[in-house]
Amino acid sequence: MFIVPNKYTEVEAKTIIGRVEKMIMDGNGQIVSGEYWGKKKMAYEIKHNAYGYYQLYQFDFPGESLIKLNNDLRLSTEILRHQILKIKVKSEEQLAKEQAARDRLIAKEEEAKEAATKFIKKATPHKKKAEDKTELKDLDKKLDGIIENTKDLV
Amino acid sequence: MAIKKNKECYFCANDIEVDYKDTRSLRKFVNFYVKILPGKRTGVCAWHQRKLAEAVKRSRIMALMSHTHR
Repeated sequence: MFIVPNKYTEVEAKTIIGRVEKMIMDGNGQIVSGEYWGKKKMAYEIKHNAYGYYQLYQFDFPGESLIKLNNDLRLSTEILRHQILKIKVKSEEQLAKEQAARDRLIAKEEEAKEAATKFIKKATPHKKKAEDKTELKDLDKKLDGIIENTKDLV
Repeated sequence: MAIKKNKECYFCANDIEVDYKDTRSLRKFVNFYVKILPGKRTGVCAWHQRKLAEAVKRSRIMALMSHTHR
């Protein structure tokens, strides 16, 4: 993964990314997959750049020339920061499975959040209807459901 | 401060790997000042806690996560 600083336009950033791609190819590497994240706000400023273009590559690369690639990337003034990591090779099935698990978790969280907001909204009319026993039971049932949902959040 | 309620490790239970790019789930394991929480607080198993600490540091380097809250 590497970051191209915001001082370049999107088009220029693309050409820089192409140059890095060439760098990988020159070192007898093979790009397996790439992911362009686009312009993104960074968590903190790096060399007075608040935004950066993120590009992620997964590639096979011979170990001997990795030092050279790392040095080239480090010396290049066009790249803000980079990181080369060794990762496990995963099948597409595994990747899809993990992504699905992640998505499920996000959906769950959002559901819980919604339930929590509903809970607050319902809490106010609850006091007025306190006399009505039948309605109270219904409310209790609903509350139980909501509480169960929010348990996942914790 | 909330004390961990889940006894099960978040990553083992949901069958996902620790990923430095997934800041959304990493945020759960750092405090307000973006400091990595101890395994005792997070409830993550020791094996995943080690991966977690590494992942947070990696994502800090790539400015996906801040080093500290301002």
